[in-house]
Amino acid sequence: MPKLIIDNLEIEVPEGTRVIEAAEKLGIYIPRFCFHHALGAVGACRVCAVKVLEGAVEGVQMSCMIDAQDGMKVSTTDPEAADFRRSVIEWLMLNHPHDCPVCDEGGHCLLQDLTVAGGHSIRRYEGGKRTYTDQYLGPLVQHEMNRCIQCYRCVRFYREYSGYNDLGVTGIAGRVYFGRLREGVLESPFAGNLIDICPTGVFTDKPSRYTGRRWDFERTPGVCIHCSLGCRTTVSARYRQVGRMEGRFSQRVNGDFICDRGRYGFYYADRPGRPRSGRISGQTVSVDQAVYEARDRLQRITEEHGPQAVGVIGSGRSSLQTQSAMVHLCRTTGWQGPVFRNTRITGAAADTAACALNPENAVSMRELETADAILAVGADPVNEAPVLALAMRQAQRAGAQITAIDPRPLEWPFDFEHLACRAEEIGEALASAAERLSDSRRPVVICGTEITDAGIVLQAADLVAGLRGSGKTAGLFCTLPQANSFGAALLDECNACAADLAARVEAGQIRALAVIESDLWHDFPDRPQLEKALEKLDLLVSVDFLDTPLFEKADIGIPSLTVFEAGGIYVNQEGRAQQVRPAHTGGLPITVTGAGDHPPRTFAPNVPGRDMPAAWVTAFCLAGQAPPETDAQMTAWMRYNFAVLSDLARMDADGVRLFAGGKTPIAHEATMPEKPEQCLELLLAAAVFGGEPMSDYSQCLRELAGLPAVWMDRADADRHGIAAGDRVGLGFENGEVSFVVRISDHMAPGVLVVYRHPDIDWQPRAGDTRYNIREDRIRRIEKA
Amino acid sequence: MIRAGIDIIASIAAGFYTTGRHLFVRPFTESYPEYKRPLPARSRARIILTRDPEGRERCVACYLCSGVCPVNCISMQAAEDSRGRRYAAWFRINFGRCIYCGLCEQACPTSAIQLTPDFEHIRRDLLDMVFEKQDLLVDHCGKDPDYDFYQHAGVVTGLAGKGDHISENAPVNTRTNMP
Repeated sequence: MPKLIIDNLEIEVPEGTRVIEAAEKLGIYIPRFCFHHALGAVGACRVCAVKVLEGAVEGVQMSCMIDAQDGMKVSTTDPEAADFRRSVIEWLMLNHPHDCPVCDEGGHCLLQDLTVAGGHSIRRYEGGKRTYTDQYLGPLVQHEMNRCIQCYRCVRFYREYSGYNDLGVTGIAGRVYFGRLREGVLESPFAGNLIDICPTGVFTDKPSRYTGRRWDFERTPGVCIHCSLGCRTTVSARYRQVGRMEGRFSQRVNGDFICDRGRYGFYYADRPGRPRSGRISGQTVSVDQAVYEARDRLQRITEEHGPQAVGVIGSGRSSLQTQSAMVHLCRTTGWQGPVFRNTRITGAAADTAACALNPENAVSMRELETADAILAVGADPVNEAPVLALAMRQAQRAGAQITAIDPRPLEWPFDFEHLACRAEEIGEALASAAERLSDSRRPVVICGTEITDAGIVLQAADLVAGLRGSGKTAGLFCTLPQANSFGAALLDECNACAADLAARVEAGQIRALAVIESDLWHDFPDRPQLEKALEKLDLLVSVDFLDTPLFEKADIGIPSLTVFEAGGIYVNQEGRAQQVRPAHTGGLPITVTGAGDHPPRTFAPNVPGRDMPAAWVTAFCLAGQAPPETDAQMTAWMRYNFAVLSDLARMDADGVRLFAGGKTPIAHEATMPEKPEQCLELLLAAAVFGGEPMSDYSQCLRELAGLPAVWMDRADADRHGIAAGDRVGLGFENGEVSFVVRISDHMAPGVLVVYRHPDIDWQPRAGDTRYNIREDRIRRIEKA
Repeated sequence: MIRAGIDIIASIAAGFYTTGRHLFVRPFTESYPEYKRPLPARSRARIILTRDPEGRERCVACYLCSGVCPVNCISMQAAEDSRGRRYAAWFRINFGRCIYCGLCEQACPTSAIQLTPDFEHIRRDLLDMVFEKQDLLVDHCGKDPDYDFYQHAGVVTGLAGKGDHISENAPVNTRTNMP
C-alpha cells in the first residue's frame, strides 16, 4: 500500500490508485473533465494537472494518469500547476459557444464551474469559433456539438461501459466529432446517462428541456419504481411537478447509472388525466366524501353478507406502507386478501424467488459485477431490469463467462452464450448447464420470474446452494415483476391471487372489491374473466394515482399520491428496503393551475389539490381507524405490527436487507400445458419501453416502443414463407391481432415472442401470457 | 452698553437683509409632481423587459435574474417556440417585494431586463404591484440599442444556421480526414 503526501497531507491508498482518487479521499477535489470513477482515466482533457515535487516523474503531471507511489509528494496548489490548469480552461473555451443562457446544462455544468474557478472571463483569442452540425438522436437526448470539449466521456460510457456501438467519434485534430454515423435514434436504453456524464451541454435532457435550472429544483433522493432493481435516483421537482430525473450514486445497487425507462418514466405523475378528486358513480365529489362513502358501503356489504364478501387487491407497485396498511385492513375487517399477484403461476415464481433469498446467497448488483461466471435462466435483463444488463456487462468486461437459457431472441450488449430452448425446457437445460459453473469461484445464477415458474426458481436456488456447498461464493439474483414485489411476498398472508378472487366473484362469494394501486386491467391476463367478474360485483372501489380503465369503471374512485408526493419504502429484488422521501408536497402543479400562462393571481389558504391522501391513509380510513399521523410514526407502526419488517429500524443510507426467513411461498401448479402438435407457442414478454404501466404514460418512451412486433425463429418463418418486415395477423380465439415480423437466428424454434407494447390489447384476445397458436392461423397480411 | 445695543440691531438687520434679499430672487424649489426632474438613465426604478433591434423579445428565460434576486421577487417559466428560440412562457415580478437593487439587470446576459428611472408606479392594491410579462414588455431596446444575443449564441433558432452567426467558422466537415 503506497503512502504519499498530497498538499502536505499524508494518505495511504491501495496499489493502483490514481493520484486524483487519492486526493479525493483526502477531500481535495482536483478539477477533471475526462476522468470519471466509473469510466477510468484517459488523460484527454489535461485539466487535472498537479505538480509532483518528489517521486519517479517530477514536474507537472496529469493526476489521473499517474499511480500513487510510495514516497510521492504532490502539490495541487503549486503556481506552475495552477497556471497550467488555467491555460487549459482558457483554450477549452476558445471554441465553446456563448450560449450558457439557453443551455440546459447551465447551473450544473462542470465546464462552467471550472471556467469560473480558473478566473477566465474574457476570451482573448479573436478568431472565429468552430461549429458543428448537430444530429437528431431520438426523443430523449438533445445534441449540441458546438459545446463539446472532447473529453471522450460519452463514447467511453456508450461503447465501453454500456456496450452499444451506434455512437462514436469521427474526425481528427480540431475536428473531432461525437455522434452517430447517420442521424437517428440512439439504440441504447442507457442513452440518457450521456446527459449526466457529459461535463458540459453537448447531451442534454430533451423532454425536460428548459423546465428549470438546477438551483430552482427541489432535489430529493428517490428510488426508481419502474422495475424491481430499485436504482437510486435524484428527483428534481419544481412548482409541484417533477421536472427531471437523474441517476444517483449507490455503492450497493446501481452504481452511477440508470436506464432510460427509469429516467423518463415519471410523466405519469403530472399527466392532465390523473385522478385528483373523488368519484362516486361517475360524479366528481371531494376526496373525503368518496372515502366515507366507500367505507360505509363496504361496511354495509360486510354486515349483510359477512366479511368474506369483500375482497382487497393490491400490487407490487405500492409502497411497503400501503401494502402493510392493506394487510392490516384485512386483518381488522376480516375481508379477503389482500392479494398482490395476478395469477398463481407468476405469483408463485416471484414469491419463491423472494423466499429463496437468504443472507448467504443474496448478491447485490455491485457484487454481481465481480462474478466470474453468470448463468441467466429465463431472464432478459435488457428488457426486464435494464441496469442489471449494465452490471453483467461489467462482469463480462472483467472476464466472466455468461450463459443464457431462454427462449427469447436475446439482444444483450455483451458476449454471451445463448442456449435457446422453449420455456418448458428451461429446467432440463438448467440441469445440464450447471456444470459450466464448476470452474468458477464466484458464480452467480440470475433467475427471471416472468416466463419461468416456481419450479425453475427453486431449481436455480438449489443450484446455488449446491455451489455454495462445494466451497464457492455463489450468489442468487432473481428479478421480480414489480418494484415492491418483494415487499408483497414478505407481507402476504392469504396465499391467493387476483385470479382466485375473480373466481370467487363469479361464484357469488365476493360482492365487493377494493382495488388499491393495482393495474388489473393491464396486468390481469384473462380480460374476459375479469370483465365477467366486474359485472357481477355490487361495488368496485378503486384507489389509484393512475387513471387506469379500472379506475374509470369503479363505482367509487379515490385518488392517491404518487411516490414523489407520498414517498415510502420499497423493497427491491435482493430484499433491500430503501426509503424514498417525498420530492414535493403535492397539489396541482402550476402548469395546470395557470394553464401554461402565469399562475393564478388569487390567494387561498390551501394549495389546490393538496387534499389527496396517500393510499395507506385511505386503507386505514376504510378500516375505520385513524392512520398514524406522520411518516415516521407509520414506519414505527409497521415495525411493531409486522415481525418481518422489524429490521427497518436498522435502515441506513444503503437501506436494509429484509429476508422472508422460512416463509412458505404461495403454492403453484407444477406443470405448464404441453404444446399441442401443429402449434407455435406464443410468449408475451416484457419490453424495456412499453408494457410497464407507469412508464407507458410517458410520451417520449412511447415513441421508442416502435411498432408491435412478433419475433420468429428463422426456420419457422421459412416454413410459412414469411420474411422479416412482413405484416402478419395472428388469429386468436377472440380475434386477430396484426404484427410486424422480426426474424431471429438465435431464439427457440417453435416459439413466437411478442414484446409487450402499449398499443397491443392482448388480454381480451389471448387471455394469458402464453398461448398456443395453430400454425394455420398465422396469416400474412402484407409483404415487406 | 450702547455698543452692545448696536451689535444686536446690526445682527438682526443682517438677518432680515438675507431674508429680504430672497424676495427678489427666483425660487429654485421644484414642486413635484407639477415638475418632474429628468433622471439619469442609470437610475433604478420600474423594471422592463426590452426587445432586440429587430423587435423580438430579448428575454430567453435563463433564470439568472430570478436566481440572483435577493428578495425572490422574479419568477418565470422558460419554453421553446417553434423555431427553437427559448423564451419566457410567463414572467412575473412582484414589485411589492422588489428592492430595486439592480442585480437582475447586471445578471441578464441578453440585456433584456433593465431598470428605468420611472419610480412612480405605486398602486393602492398590493396585487396590482404584481406585474406580468405583458405589463413588463416594452417595444424598444432600452439602454442597449444594439445587442442581439442570438447573433452571438451560436444556437440555431431560425435566425441563422450553424456557422452563420457573428465570429463563427463554417461547420466542420466530419467526413474528411484531410488536414
